[in-house]
Amino acid sequence: MPLKGKIEELKKRKEEVLQGGGEQAVAKQVAMGKLTARERIITLLDEDSFNEYDMFVEHEARDFGMGGKVLHGDGVIIGTGTIYGAPVAIFAQDFTVAGGSLGFMHARKITKIMDYALRMRIPLIGINDSGGARIQEGVNSLAGYGEIFWRNTLSSGIIPQISVILGPCAGGAVYSPALTDFVFVVENISKMFITGPEVIKSVLGEEITQEELGGAKIHAQITGNAHFFAESEFECFEQIKKLITFIPWNNTRKARKFEPKEPKPTYNIDDIVPGDPKEPYDVRNVIRAIVDDSDFFEIQEMWAGNIVIGFGRLNGETVGFVANQPLVMAGVLDVDSSDKAARFIRYCNAFNIPLCTLVDLPGYLPGVDQEHAGVIRHGAKLLYAYSEASVPKMTVILRKAYGGGYIAMSSRHLRADFVFAWPGAEIAVMGPEGAANIIFRKEISEAENPDEMRRQKVEEYKEKFANPYVAAAKGYIDTVIEPEETRKLLLHALEVSSNKVADRPFKKHGIPPF
Amino acid sequence: MALSRLDNKHLTAFIPGTIVDVKVKVGQEVKQGDILVILDAMKMHNRIIAPVDSIVKEVNVKPGERVCKGFVMVVLE
Repeated sequence: MPLKGKIEELKKRKEEVLQGGGEQAVAKQVAMGKLTARERIITLLDEDSFNEYDMFVEHEARDFGMGGKVLHGDGVIIGTGTIYGAPVAIFAQDFTVAGGSLGFMHARKITKIMDYALRMRIPLIGINDSGGARIQEGVNSLAGYGEIFWRNTLSSGIIPQISVILGPCAGGAVYSPALTDFVFVVENISKMFITGPEVIKSVLGEEITQEELGGAKIHAQITGNAHFFAESEFECFEQIKKLITFIPWNNTRKARKFEPKEPKPTYNIDDIVPGDPKEPYDVRNVIRAIVDDSDFFEIQEMWAGNIVIGFGRLNGETVGFVANQPLVMAGVLDVDSSDKAARFIRYCNAFNIPLCTLVDLPGYLPGVDQEHAGVIRHGAKLLYAYSEASVPKMTVILRKAYGGGYIAMSSRHLRADFVFAWPGAEIAVMGPEGAANIIFRKEISEAENPDEMRRQKVEEYKEKFANPYVAAAKGYIDTVIEPEETRKLLLHALEVSSNKVADRPFKKHGIPPF
Repeated sequence: MALSRLDNKHLTAFIPGTIVDVKVKVGQEVKQGDILVILDAMKMHNRIIAPVDSIVKEVNVKPGERVCKGFVMVVLE
């Protein structure tokens, strides 16, 4: 056959694979309100940047009538491309082909692109849309999952790993996303659970829908398994693209630098934090008043809202922000907020992203349920993460910094490089009411008018300790600043810490309390 | 059952505290984000806000009252 004929044959073969699971299956996918795997990749990546590999891979299963079955691409598409010019490796499970079920060759395609991403030190994006293990392939299918989990762990902290849940992701399959850095979910489309509604009903007799058990909102609001929630696949892809602009290709690089921009004048830093320490406010507006173009990219917005995490830029450079949120549960630290912040801090540290911590919290949330839920070990994660982080660490105490919360929130004692406090900061071992009741118990109980005495002693304590100057006198905070100086000082701090050396004794790895 | 964490009709105290202000009455229409009650707890005047547009079905607190953790302060329709 002349070459021309062979090229024709190639085109025909490609054309066939591009059909995916065929017209009927594609129509079903569309009816579910979902894009096809290939549409997803093309929508997410830069135009014409996608190159597919292993298009002609075929499964080798022979049992249970699999011998004659043709499964195009074995139900998964792999390749490389770019997002805003940054290279990424990607796989997308194709639900139209045997329900995206994971067989031996399907898994081998995924692990091939994972190996490639790690070798080339580029981010990996996995689009999950699969019914689960391909039962006909038995233990080979389970082996495939294990190989994926192993590579997720191997790559962790070296290349960014992003999971996009655009369909069912159940049973063992959920553990790959759980091992990756960021999980994206979409309303009505994403479903994640270890055991589905049928199993729960047969074992426990409890009835629940897939959506109520492990839908997008559940993971965005309640479990904390998801980092980004979107109402459509298109919105989800925009979120992924934006995330890619904030993070580096791998752990030896810095994130891409952008043109510096001043914050928008709508966010006036002097007007955001009320003088009365009992008045709540939205700490995200303080971040917006500080970062370039007031552009704050929040992560896990709907879960553990009492702490805020996310990326912003200072002078064009990506910075990870951690801030107590007085608007939600007074901004207390608890099991979930400690967990949320600790993981983010470790992400930033692994990928050379400086940390900026904004402090305004009353302390840890008291309560039997918190204690019994293990707030000791969860709270310890935060201390561990901050202590371990060797990236530049900048702390601004906006208002309250009491007790264990003061220490945990990137204090000098955990090796913050810069600690600034606003003039309204109250840094003390506990609040004036509690402290006065303990220190002056005798005076108060023996006074003719105990209430009056208590009021006096509270005032006395407030005046003496509820300010930033006691801590400043010890050098625990570097300087007391006016709110409007914050951005200028943070920019300066970032500049002088660009060559920071933080040598630590060699160890295989630490034992964080997880 | 497990769905209680999704319940956005029963607004409870996340911690014991004192009611500072009650901004709504039974039968009143509320919009998402409206302040219903102010609860003094954890050194903060916490705003208890309407999670959805709704109508107030029950108000179980008065200013000055102390509430325990989990107390249902307001019920929405």
